[in-house]
Order: sequence, then C-alpha cells, then structure tokens
Amino acid sequence: MKIAALRLFNVRRFARRGVAIEGIGDGVNVLCAANEYGKSTSFDALHALFFQPHTGQAKELKRLQPYSGGNPLVEADIIVPEGRFRLTKQFLGGRRASVMALDSGRLVAQADEAENFIAGLIRGGTAGPAGLLWVRQGNTGLEKRKEDEDERQVRESLLTSVQGEVEAITGGRRMSQIIELCAGELGALVTATGRAKSGGPYAAALEEQARLAEEEARLKADVDTLRAALDRRAGALRQLAELDKAEEKAARRAAVVEAEAAFETAKSHAETLKAARAEAALARSRFEAAERALKGFRAAMERLAALKVERQAMEVRREEAQAKRGAATAAMEQASAEVQAAEREERETRALLARLERALAARKAAEELDALKQRLGRAEAIRARLEEGEAALASIAIPDAAIEKLQRLDEGIFRLRTAEEAGLPSLRIAYEGEAPARVTIDGRALADGEEQAVRDVARLDLPGIGTLHVRANRPAGADGALKVAEEKRRRLLAEISVADLAEARRRSGEAQRQAAALEGLRIKARHLVPEGLKALREEVARRAAVPAEALELKGDPDEVRQALERAEARVGAGRARAHEAEPRRERAMEALMAAQSSVAALDGELARLEAELGPEAERGGQETALAAAHGAAAADLGTCETRAGELEAAAPDLASAEAALRRARSVEEGARQEEERLRRDLAGLNAEIRTRSDDAVEEAWREAGEAREAADARVGAFASEVAVLDRLREALQASRSAARDLYLQPVLNELRPLLGLLFDDVSIVFDEKSLLPQTIRRNGQEEEVERLSGGMREQLSVLTRLAFARLLAQDGRPAPVILDDALVYSDDDRIERMFDALHRQARDQQIIVFSCRQRAFAKLGGNVLHMSDWEPDLG
Amino acid sequence: MSAFRFLHSSDLHLGRRFGNLPEELRGRLREARHAAIGRLAARARESGASTILLAGDTFDTETPAPDIRRQALAEMGHHAPLRWVLLPGNHDSLQASQLWGALRLEAPDNVVLAVEPAPLALAPGVTLLPAPCTTRRPGRDLTEWMDGAGREEGAIRIGLAHGAIRDFAEEGGATDVIAPDRAARAGLDYLALGDWHGSLEVDVRTRYSGTPEPDRFKHDRPGTALIVSIEAAGAAPEVTPVETASFAWRTLRLDLLSQDDGAALLAGRLPEGRERRQTLLRVAAAGRASLAGRTALAAAIAQAAPEFARLELDEAGLAIDCEATDLDLIDRGGALREAAEALRAESLDATRSAAEREVARAALMRLFSYSQQAGA
Repeated sequence: MKIAALRLFNVRRFARRGVAIEGIGDGVNVLCAANEYGKSTSFDALHALFFQPHTGQAKELKRLQPYSGGNPLVEADIIVPEGRFRLTKQFLGGRRASVMALDSGRLVAQADEAENFIAGLIRGGTAGPAGLLWVRQGNTGLEKRKEDEDERQVRESLLTSVQGEVEAITGGRRMSQIIELCAGELGALVTATGRAKSGGPYAAALEEQARLAEEEARLKADVDTLRAALDRRAGALRQLAELDKAEEKAARRAAVVEAEAAFETAKSHAETLKAARAEAALARSRFEAAERALKGFRAAMERLAALKVERQAMEVRREEAQAKRGAATAAMEQASAEVQAAEREERETRALLARLERALAARKAAEELDALKQRLGRAEAIRARLEEGEAALASIAIPDAAIEKLQRLDEGIFRLRTAEEAGLPSLRIAYEGEAPARVTIDGRALADGEEQAVRDVARLDLPGIGTLHVRANRPAGADGALKVAEEKRRRLLAEISVADLAEARRRSGEAQRQAAALEGLRIKARHLVPEGLKALREEVARRAAVPAEALELKGDPDEVRQALERAEARVGAGRARAHEAEPRRERAMEALMAAQSSVAALDGELARLEAELGPEAERGGQETALAAAHGAAAADLGTCETRAGELEAAAPDLASAEAALRRARSVEEGARQEEERLRRDLAGLNAEIRTRSDDAVEEAWREAGEAREAADARVGAFASEVAVLDRLREALQASRSAARDLYLQPVLNELRPLLGLLFDDVSIVFDEKSLLPQTIRRNGQEEEVERLSGGMREQLSVLTRLAFARLLAQDGRPAPVILDDALVYSDDDRIERMFDALHRQARDQQIIVFSCRQRAFAKLGGNVLHMSDWEPDLG
Repeated sequence: MSAFRFLHSSDLHLGRRFGNLPEELRGRLREARHAAIGRLAARARESGASTILLAGDTFDTETPAPDIRRQALAEMGHHAPLRWVLLPGNHDSLQASQLWGALRLEAPDNVVLAVEPAPLALAPGVTLLPAPCTTRRPGRDLTEWMDGAGREEGAIRIGLAHGAIRDFAEEGGATDVIAPDRAARAGLDYLALGDWHGSLEVDVRTRYSGTPEPDRFKHDRPGTALIVSIEAAGAAPEVTPVETASFAWRTLRLDLLSQDDGAALLAGRLPEGRERRQTLLRVAAAGRASLAGRTALAAAIAQAAPEFARLELDEAGLAIDCEATDLDLIDRGGALREAAEALRAESLDATRSAAEREVARAALMRLFSYSQQAGA
C-alpha cells in the first residue's frame, strides 16, 4: 500500500478549513514545517483514518475536533495492487466511512464494509502484517503528547511499537491469542507445576473421584455386612429348621426319658444296696463288739492271774529294799557317833593347845617388857647425862662472835695505847749502882731502866726523898677513844664472864670438847632407842598395862598338837564313813519306794480287774455267755454280708446311667439353647438387615460405583485434556521461538547494511523472547541498550522499522513508513547518515517524514510536500 | 382347551440408579423402569395374556429401597386380575431373604412368588416349573430339576429360569450355565429365560425376553417383551415381540471417509423430533475424518445434544486425516503452521507410543479449534 494524498477538514486547528497534502509519491516524502503548522494534526488525522472506527466516540476522536466544534473529516488516496482508492471518514457528527475506487469512481464500500476494507489494508488479511509502519516521537495513538516526555518513555514506546511490528510480521498476534487460550484453559485445570489447580474443575473432578471412591468403599462395606448378615441369617434359619424338626425333637426327648428311667432303676437298686450295706455294717459292728467283749473278758482273766504273780514278787522286792535301808541307816548312825566323839576330843585338845600357846605368849611378853624397861632405864640415864652436859656446856659456852669481838677490841686498845704512850711523857729510872731504895710509882716499884709513861699524874714515891708527882698535863679527853674501847672490853668481858681474851679462848675450847662428848652420847641414845624415847616409854607403859595371864604351863604343846592332829584325823575318817553310808541308804530308799509304788499300782489294777470280772464265782458263766453272743453275731454278719455282696454283684452302673442321662439332657438342652441363640441371632440379624435394606445400601453402592466410574472417566478426560493442552502449548511455544529465529535473521540481514550506513562496526543482539535490541556490540564491546544515547536509540528504532518495512516489501506487501518527528535527538552528522539510510530504503519503499526541523531536514532531500487549502466535496 | 397365552419379560431392574449419568436423567430413567410395569400390563391386556412371567432380576439389588418395592407391588396389584409371577434372579436372589420375606408379606393376591423349585399350577393343565436363583452365583444349573418334574399327560409345561446358557452372561464369567437344550431335555413347551438384556431366541422353545426397558447401549435394540401363546402341550409356541420401552438406548455407527461430511451424515441419521427426548444415543464414529470434518461433527453433536436424553460421541474408532487444507485453515505459514505440522507429524509418527500420538492428535485438533476461535 502506498499513500498518495491526505486531506482533512475541520480537524483541530483547521476549524471549518480544509488542508490537503497531495502528491505523496514513492521514496522519501518530507513535510517539513514549523511548529503549529499542522503537521502533527495531519499525522493524527491519518492515524485516525486507519485505526479509529468512524462510529467511535473515543476521547482521541474528540481531540481531533476543533475548539469551535464540528465534525472532523479525513480523506486519503491510496494505491494498492488492486487499484487506487479513496478512503473517507467523518467522525462524531454525521459520521460516515466510505471507500471509492478512484479509477472507476465507483463507491466500493460504506460504513462497516468500509471499515473492513481499511482493516484489511492495515492488517493485510488474515495473517498479513500491518500495512503501515508508524514511527513518531511518542506513541502511535492520538493520546495527548507530553511535551516533557522523558527518554525512558520515548524509548519504551518506540521499542514497543517495534515489537508490535515484529509480531505482526511473524503472525504472532494469533499465536499469542491461541497460546493465551490454551494457557487459559490449562491454567484453569492445573497449576504452573502441573498439579491440579485447587478450585479448578480438574481438582474438583479428582476430589469427586476420591469422594466417590471413599463413598463406594464405605457402601461396599455396608453391602458386604448386609450380605454377610443375610448369609448368616440363611444359615441360622436352616439350622433352626433342622432343630425344629419334630422327629428330631421327639428323638431327643425319648432319649432323655429312657435315660431317666434307666437312671431311676439304677438309683433305687443303689438305695437297696446301700441299705444292705448299712445292715451288714451294723452286723459287723455288733459282731466286732461281741468279739471285743469276749476277748476283753478273757484278757482280763489272764491279766488278773499274771498280776497276782507279779504282786507277790513285788512284795519280796519291797521287803528286801526295806532291809537294805535299815542296814544303811545303822551304818550311818554309827559313823555319826564316831565323828561326834572324835570331834569332841578334837575340841578339847584344841582348847588345851590354845591355852598352852597363850601361856607361852604371856611369858614372852613379860620378857620383852623387861628388856624394854632396861633399855628405857639406860636411855633415861643417858638422857640425864645429856642434860647435865648440856647445862654445863651452856654455862661455858661463849659465842664465837664474842671472842672475835673481844680480839678486835684488844687489838684496838693495844693500837690506841701504843699511840698514846708514844705521846706520853715517860719516866725511866736508871738506878745507880746498887742503890737499894727503889722508887715506887703510884705505889709500885719502878724497875731500872723501865720506861714508864705518865698519863695524868704519877705519883712517885721516891724513897728517901719524898713523893714526886708528875703531871702529864695532857688535854682532857686525849685518851677518850682508849677509854671507850677499854670500857667496851670491860663490859664484854663481864658479859661473858671471862677475864680476858685468853681465858675466853680457853673456855671456848672447853665448850667444844664438852659438845663433842654430848654428841657421842646422843648417838648412843639413838642407837639404843631408835624409836625415840617417848615411843619406848609409851610402849613400856602399854605393855605394862596388859594384864598378865595366868601363866600355868601344863604339858608339852607339841604333844598336845599331835593329839589334836590325831583327833582331826579321826573326825575325817568318821565323816568319810558316814558319807559312804549315805548313798547306800538313798538307793535303798529309792528301791523301797519303787517297790511300794509298784505294789500300790498292782493293787489298783488288781482291784479294777476284780471289779470288772465280778465275783469270782460267776466268772465262768459270764465267759460262756460272752462266747455264745460272739458266735451269734458272727453268724448274723455272714448273712448280711452275703446279701450285700449279692446286691452289689447285680447292681447296674449308676455313674454310666447318670452320664447317659446327662448327655441326653445336654443334647436336648443344647438344642434348646441353640434354638434360643439362633432366634436371638435372627432377631439381631433381622433388625440389622431390615435397617440396611430399608436404607437400600446396595442400590446406593451400585450408584456410587457407577458414579465413581463416571468420575474416573472424567478425571481421565481431564488428565488427557491437560496432556493435550500441555502438548499444544509446548508445540506453540517451540514453534514461536523457532519462528522468531526465522524472522529475526532476515530483519537483522536488512538491518545490518543500514547500521553499516549509520555506525561503524556496530552489531545488535536481539533478545530472543521480546525481539527487542538487547545489547549493542560496538568495536567488540558489548553495551547495554539502556546505556545508549537517546539519539542512537531512536535511530536504531527507525532503522529497525525500515528493516521490517523492507522485509514486508520483499514479501510483496509493501507498507509505508511514517515518521513524525522521529529524529529529535540526532546530531547533524548522524541525521545525514539517517537520511542516507532513508533514501537507501526508499528505493522501493514509501517513507513519509513529518518534521519541524526545517533546516536539518532540508538536507534530507526527497519529495517535498506542501499543504494546500482544500474544500471537501460535501455533496 | 384354548391356547395358554402369557407375557414373558425379565430384568426390570427396578431401583437401578444410573450413578454414571447426570442427575436429572437418572430420575427419568429410574422412573421409566417403574413405568415398565404398567406398560407390560398394557401389552398383556392388549394381547389377551392373563399372566406375566418375570424371569428374574425384577429388582436391581437384593435390598431395594422400600419405596421401590412397595410401589412396584402396588402397581402390579393395580393391574389385577393380571397375574404376575416373580422369579428370583441373580440380582434379587433368594439369598435376599429380607426382600423375599417382605414381598411375601406385602404381595397382593395377583403376585405370585416363584421361590421354590417346585411345579406351580398356572392354569388347569398348565404347569410352571420355576428355577429360582438361590444365591447370586449358584454355581450349578438350577433347571436340572425340571427334567422329570410335573409330567402330566396333556399338561403344558413352562420353565422359568434366570441365567446364562452360554458364557455370554450379562455380567460375564458365569460358571453356572443353563443347559441350552434344557427345554428339549425336560420336554418343556417353553423355557422363559431372563438375564440377557436383549431379546434372543435360543431355539423355538427357548427365549430370552430381554429387558422391557433397556439400561445400556450394549444391545442396541428396543426394549421388548414376548407374548407367548401355546396351543397345547407339545405344540410350537407362537411368540410375538411387543415394544415396551420408554427410552431407547442406541448406538449410531457412523462410518466416515475422509472426504465425508460427518455432520451432514449424522443429521440424516439422527432420530427426529420428540423421539430424541427419549433417546440415549451414542454416536460411534469410525473410519477417517478430516480435521475440519471431525470438528464439524463434534460441533454438530454438541449442537444436537440438548435435544436428546443423552447424546455422546465415541470417536475411538475415528482416525483423523490432516490435509494441507486443514492446516491452511490454521495458518498458511508461519509459527502456527509450523506448530500444526509438528503436531501432525507426531500424531503419525509410528515410533511414538499410541498415547503420545493420541495426545498429539488431540492437540492438533485443539489447535484447529482455537485457530477458528481466534479468527483472522
């Protein structure tokens, strides 16, 4: 299809005006005009002509209306292989559509038929691609164009339209529709994973199937139960009928009666037998009693005789025992007497001996007292001497200290005197020759040459001459110390009663001698009286106080002691004899007691037997009577036992009869119980069967079974439906994928030279599914489409479209390519290359370009279009 | 003595529920079975028969619902003095003691229960020898006793039994087969058999009456009963089938050639008018059909189905031919055509399993139908 002319009237800014673009030819056609010139209006009008039904009221159509109102009219002349046609549509008011053959001027189609004609053009029949390829900045529809569309939207809309064209070419719209139908039906049945979709009919069928299968199984169980019950009831009825048979019942009854009779007979026989046996037992006991009586009597007789003999023997033994006891007693008494005598003698001897010993002791004590007294006397003598000595010693004893003091005083006095005398005037007479008269000094003769010191005054008698007094004239007290010392000595001497030191020493020696003598005495006294004088004295006094015994001494104590020993021996011997006699006597006593008690026992038994046997005279008769009774009882017993034996031998077996009866009865009872049980079972079964058969379970079961089969079939149908749909979808998808490859290659083939024109060394990878350019390979580098510039993308888009258009043309279905401001982002260099590409394509392709870029598009060349006024032929 | 005339029928299967059919149809079919009683009585009266022999399976189960049983008895009672003789069959054998006990209690005077294998006087000089089924599967020939029984000079002897004579029992696998020559052996004038749901003449004296109201497609003949007239002992019975069915169960075999217009052929062979409402029809298509032809046939069936009690298409025997023109209708070229070709190849690929081929074939048909829906 090619477009030859476009005319519009009363469209948007052309209110009550018409414009026409005539002479649109092959190749590139350019309508280049400033904004608001009416380009876009023309484009939209053309679009509406082809894509909007004339009956529409769409918002887009309203947009075509001028502000002042009115009915937009669009008209286009087209050239198709069938000829040239004029398409006319008036929208909104007075809406109409018509197709006129320009060659013949004939009206080909109107209204809906005209719409069908137009649709056929753009869709190319049932499977053809679109007859027009639109590219514009923005969408192909008439929606409001946004001045500020961002790049993304631009790109998307471009690519979307590319995709649309691709699908149109590959016939994919039907494909998609069919796949959708298929997927829709499949989706209603199964999930993406192939399982039955819950809530879907397939799942419902499966559920129904399961439900029915369960129902069927449940009912089957019911039916089985019912049938089992029926079978059981039939069996029970059969059994019951057999049990109910009259002859069987009578036979059972007769068996019981017969068994009862037999049992009764046996029982009465048994009773008789029992009685006979009891009688026999009684006879036996009577016989046994008689026998016992007889035997007892005889035994008593024998026993009596034996006892009598024994009694005599026992009497002898008792007497012997008595004799033995007497002898033993006598022996014991004698021994006792001996012992008493010996004891008496022993006592006397012992007394005598005691006395003797006491006398001896007294004598010894007296001797000891004498010795003690002598020792005491000596001791006391020594003691007197000691006291004397001590007294004497005391009188002469001078303390050693006094002696030493006296010595010191003497020495002091001597020293003092010497010193005094050295200072004293002294006198010495030297007598002439034999002068007989001696001078006395203080009455004493003064020897020749004797130096006499004068103390105070010395009176010298000078015979013949007179008396001379010499005065020393020494200061008073010059000899005080001496006088004190001498006074001390004088007092000390007086004190110790000595004249001088020498005497004192003499007396001291004397005192030591006496003291030594006293010490010797004391030692002597200690030897003599170690216990001390006082103790000795007390001992003597104590002993002297003990009264002296009569100290008679008759006999020799040794003799007496021997006599005592002898007496003691006699006592022991006597006692031993008495001891010996004691057991003998005991034994004799025991023997006697035993004999006596035996005798007593024998006497008792004898008395009993005598009493039992009765008077001796009647004993013979009694025995005879007893023997007779015994014989009678024995005879009676024989009779009874014989009878019992006969009965026993003839007795029927009671146990067997009873067992037979029991069996007969149990048979009858068993039959009765069985009958009862069967009737009870029957009642239960009847109820069960009635309930179930009233429920018509079997019908329900068959119904459920049939329904389940139907459900099985339905599930099977669904399963195969799923398989079929799945297979179909798979086949369609596979083929679509293959087809895309198939169509893609030619498109790429077409695209490649165009790309070569525009870009150096660029190749495009298309996404297999969307058929959109996915990556661009430039100089060996892969680039994401998203990263391409807006200019490049729009160029690509245009080129792709051109490639498709070319493909269509080759397919014998040429379609015009319409570009409306499609190259807004391209720079001058690129746009020229694009122009080259457009021209290259336009050799066998109609391309209509609308642009406001007058200067840039001036270089495009091609057929320049102009708008001219146009008045529609409204007639 | 005038001829003895009776109606021979069997297999009423009262109470059958048809669980595999749609709910609303079930009720009608069930009701039709009950109504068969009345129709049998009408046929009997029309032909002057006084006795109706039902050769077993009067009831579908051993425990029919009480309403089924009582209503059946009431209907039979309503047709007095016509006499009904009911024989226990395998579906309602004597083992169903509850059923027969209840029947015994409830049966009106004109209903006779043939529950004992003992001669039964039907009329002066006419003896019935029934062979009631004792259990579902008796495992022996129950008619054996007839050989020596009830022989009376000049008496007409009629046997009544239920079961298979060959191994073509209604439910298959029977071991308790009735001797096919029982009538001859036992010197019967007529042996009325039940069990086989289609009417069948075994020999001149032995017949299956078939069910008066068919319940399946198997026999493909209308439900009938037999009016039997016996002139005298030893005389050949005169048998007249009478139609009794309310519903027709039919199988329509449609042999197609690839170029045949199946839909048109079908249109010519479908029963007409109100008959359709009482018809369960299975169209068994066989032979070959083109894709378009098959689709058209299915569409025709779907179109006609609402007029029928039931109309189903059995195309198991139908092979689909795919011509280039058929495929052209899908698409002349392109991806759809490729998919169609692939499916067709697969459906003819002998190396694939039958199931796979069938799936491919069905997928192709589906594609065809979708492509028609999707339009241009």
